[in-house]
Amino acid sequence: MRSVDAAPSADSREAADPAAVAGQRTSLDAQPSADSGEGHRRRWPTAFAGRPTVRIESWAVATLMNGGIAVGATMLACALAGVGDDNADASIFAAMGAACAAPCALARRRVRHPRRVSPGRVFGGIALAWTALVAFGTAVYLVTGVFSRIDHALVESAAGFSTSAVTLLDVDDVSRTVLLWRAASSWVGGLAAIAMSVVALPAVLRTTDLIGYSTGRRGRDLSPNPVVGSRRIVLLYSGFTAACMLAYLLTGLGALDSAVLGLSTASTGGFSGRSDSFVSLGVAAQTVATAAMLLAGTGVFVLWWLLRGRLRPLWRSQELRCYLLLAVAMTALLMLQSGVGWREAAFTATSTLSTTGFAMSDWTTWPALATAVLLVGAGAGTMIGSAGGGLKVMRARLLVASAGAELRRQLQPRTTVLVRRDGEPLPSETLERLGGHQIAFAALIGLGAVLLGLGGLSVSGSVWTSVSAVCTLGPSVGEVGAFGRIGGLDWSARLALVPLMMAGRMSMPPLLAVLGAGIEIQRHVLRNMRLLGRSAVSAVNAQLDEMPHLNRPRPASDAEVVDTASAAPDVGTAEKSSAAPGTEAVEKSSAAPGTEAAERG
Amino acid sequence: MARRSAFELLRTPRPRLPSTALHVIGIALAAVSCGMLLCALLELASTNMDTLALVVSGVLLCIVGIAVSRCTQPSEIRSPGQIFGVVGWTWVTITLAGALPYVIAGTFSSTGAGLVEQVVNSIFESASGFSCSGSTVLSDFDTPGRGLMMYRQATHWYGGMGVVVLAVAVLPFLGVGGLELVSAETPGVSSDRLRPRVSETARRLWVIYACFTAAAVVVLFAVPGPSLYDAVAHALSVAATGGFSPYADSIGHFDSVAVEIVLIGLMIFGGTSFSLHWRAVTRRSLPHFRNSEFRYFLALLGFATWFMVAVLWFDNGFGLAESLRAGLFNAVSLGTSTGFSNATGAGSIGDYVTWAAGAQMMLLFLMIVGGCTGSTSGGMKVMRMQILGVVMLRSVRQSQTPRAVIPVRLGRQVISESIVARVAGFFLMHFLLVVSGLLVLTALGGDFETSLGSVVSALGNMGPALDQAGPTSNYAHAFGQPARLVLAMLMIIGRLEIMPILLAIVPYIYRASAITRSLSP
Repeated sequence: MRSVDAAPSADSREAADPAAVAGQRTSLDAQPSADSGEGHRRRWPTAFAGRPTVRIESWAVATLMNGGIAVGATMLACALAGVGDDNADASIFAAMGAACAAPCALARRRVRHPRRVSPGRVFGGIALAWTALVAFGTAVYLVTGVFSRIDHALVESAAGFSTSAVTLLDVDDVSRTVLLWRAASSWVGGLAAIAMSVVALPAVLRTTDLIGYSTGRRGRDLSPNPVVGSRRIVLLYSGFTAACMLAYLLTGLGALDSAVLGLSTASTGGFSGRSDSFVSLGVAAQTVATAAMLLAGTGVFVLWWLLRGRLRPLWRSQELRCYLLLAVAMTALLMLQSGVGWREAAFTATSTLSTTGFAMSDWTTWPALATAVLLVGAGAGTMIGSAGGGLKVMRARLLVASAGAELRRQLQPRTTVLVRRDGEPLPSETLERLGGHQIAFAALIGLGAVLLGLGGLSVSGSVWTSVSAVCTLGPSVGEVGAFGRIGGLDWSARLALVPLMMAGRMSMPPLLAVLGAGIEIQRHVLRNMRLLGRSAVSAVNAQLDEMPHLNRPRPASDAEVVDTASAAPDVGTAEKSSAAPGTEAVEKSSAAPGTEAAERG
Repeated sequence: MARRSAFELLRTPRPRLPSTALHVIGIALAAVSCGMLLCALLELASTNMDTLALVVSGVLLCIVGIAVSRCTQPSEIRSPGQIFGVVGWTWVTITLAGALPYVIAGTFSSTGAGLVEQVVNSIFESASGFSCSGSTVLSDFDTPGRGLMMYRQATHWYGGMGVVVLAVAVLPFLGVGGLELVSAETPGVSSDRLRPRVSETARRLWVIYACFTAAAVVVLFAVPGPSLYDAVAHALSVAATGGFSPYADSIGHFDSVAVEIVLIGLMIFGGTSFSLHWRAVTRRSLPHFRNSEFRYFLALLGFATWFMVAVLWFDNGFGLAESLRAGLFNAVSLGTSTGFSNATGAGSIGDYVTWAAGAQMMLLFLMIVGGCTGSTSGGMKVMRMQILGVVMLRSVRQSQTPRAVIPVRLGRQVISESIVARVAGFFLMHFLLVVSGLLVLTALGGDFETSLGSVVSALGNMGPALDQAGPTSNYAHAFGQPARLVLAMLMIIGRLEIMPILLAIVPYIYRASAITRSLSP
């Protein structure tokens, strides 16, 4: 979050110094430190060094550096916690953490967020940062020797950072450091997701009112500017995590279990330090988990309102009402269908709805309606501003409202039917974009199901696992199971999970932007190839024209003109289509009138 | 006062009840009764087992239909709600009336079912027939006579082009709201007028349809294998892209490559817009390949075939030739929403529930997409999928340039935002119906995979679904009676493309809520 702190100070400085603003695009800046306060201090080291400091303005690089600092610091913390358990792992983590954090921290001083940045660059930066995080996590697992195969390490890393509760780890065989790292990777992923949805995307998409990405009035309340917003988010998220840990400690769990579960609960990661998740834990821990998961799914806005004692927005929030209603309805249906007690039903319902993925029983053996209800809950997902995944309750509600509005529009074509969010009517463009995102969401799930089906999963397993992966839940009916063990899956199915989890975690706009960039690159390549082909054809034609033995003599009579035209009609057409207008004009002017007429004919 | 003769009483013009819905229902019932009586003749000439059932049903429906149409007259249609009401209630009525021969003949009594279950099964079979789905609860294919089986095929044929279109075709005076009625019943994004007059358009559609059916009879009869009865039965089914067959193992009964190749061609023809066929006939040229929807349709079928052949060859370990045969036939059968099966038995290569899940997912996708607009096939239609794809790509571009105003184009044609909104609304409704149907069916005892496949299949008017409702299975074994009724309803909803049935119900919901509101203190 340091990066965001740095941005406004740089902006305010730039506002005070028009020369610096004018020169900022040159990437050569005489001011070395974005974070320092006063002008004379900024110029001081430059004067001493005697050379200008290179400053890079890049949203992507700055985000990457921030991610590197966060991951490095987390690794150092894990290493510290692991001292005394497995010192080899702890030392490797410390070395890697330092190797990651230190260069990023140093480099971060030379990088700043640009004042204005296009959404495409922001989305590109987000995609790059997530990819780098997963790649680094993969390297960590490989270097520490937890996994010897790169695909295993990749899947575990992706599951961690995407807050999905699937794992290949044998939790009884790994060190404390690794357990904490696995949970902490979810925590970092959750933090990044919240920062992305509450600070980064609304700042970029402020004017577009894209549902779920522009957070509206409540977003401005929590995050009036990126610096303040980031700081508040970190505090809220860390505070909530600490509260979860403390609550688990009070239920009698050990420090390691509490830390792992606290990190996993707050981030909706769903990773447990035990192979049976919550089955062997006590009632108190399960009750705490139920409440914490429900709260984790509500997001930072609700935490903010609760902390500030603002009951009115809590009461007026349609999204919160829908979320709680869904949780209650799911609990009731699960109780009725599967015959379990309210505690188990509530635990499973909140675990799925918040896309956490903890399990206190093997719910995959419950009746089909119960699993279908859980699937719908996972698809609807959490509230905007939470670390959870899914379509998000607000968007799901708006889509249902749009369907109702469409029905009314069909019945009364001349009526203007409004769809409202928290009492405010939404423009039709917003709903259209929301529809586009929903189509992309459905297409992603469908594609994932086909890939997983090809990987050897059953039909129901493919559909369930695809939904679960895209919604960053993890467990699913079929081969994966309620405890998210994917060791039995084919390697291709495991690898197919990686892009699905990442795509679900990144949410739709960055994903669509990456897709758009891919399409643009493809178009660019195709266009260049076409131009290259045309120029090659032109060059060949020009060469042919220059060859004297191929140049025909000028026609002496009309009959010969007709012969020339009929002899090579295709060449004439090809020349016309391939040659540039200028070339064509030259050719026309140089050719005899009779020939030109023949070519036209 | 002088007594008037009965003839004079009949001739005397009486005030008729102004109701378009009842009038169209009457005509539709009379039309269906004609089919029943024709099938009764066939039954009489062949097996003579269910003649009485067909005659009684036919005569009864004929009398009721004529009486209703004589006592009513088309009224002015003032609101879209009335249009959807006419279409929706007509379909519900003919579905219920169409179940009558099965109930009277006791077609479903052979399994020891009680009267209620027989009625439920008859309604399911009738709904499946009229909606051109091809799902069946019939387990004993030898008991019903040939006439009754032909009536079962004929229900497909009636439903294929639509009974309301038929009513509009035979009623030139039903001018007001005629186009809207046809649009509400005809599958597609927007209605395509072949002629300036709606009734002429409807008549031409039926003419093409009848000619296509006749051609299909000739071609199928010319192929070695099917008898004339088989040819007619399957022609009625394939023209409507229905999927019923008089045999339990469907097309697998013939186990003939030639029959399958002919049917593949006929299914593709049936899955293509009839407007294109009409233009091809009248202009003596082939406009099909200039139509982007048709090109995408063929490309989709080609891709699905290639995909399934690859899966069957590499994953399931079948030979290339049999993989190609099974992959191509099933891709076209489900891609056109026909639902024929070339499985020769449970576990054979044509039984796609034994295929790898990836191939089954592709089949599920084909079930959702369906054929072209303006054809007799079901599903969401290729054009809608094209528009949805373009809308998605527009979202991609808008993610990079959020303020850009980007029109939706299909080829060079700009699609109006109102159509885009309708298509998006349709997709939403389809999605919500799949989710709701899945919840209801699982609540009624279905398992997840079978329920999901059956809901998608019913809404897409496909016929066979996945797992226990696969091509060699039977819906009676997969679902209980309430679930079968739900599926029957979903089939009709899917045939009318969701909106008419929902919108026929919505005004009553509004009215009920208004009454409740007025009663509350």
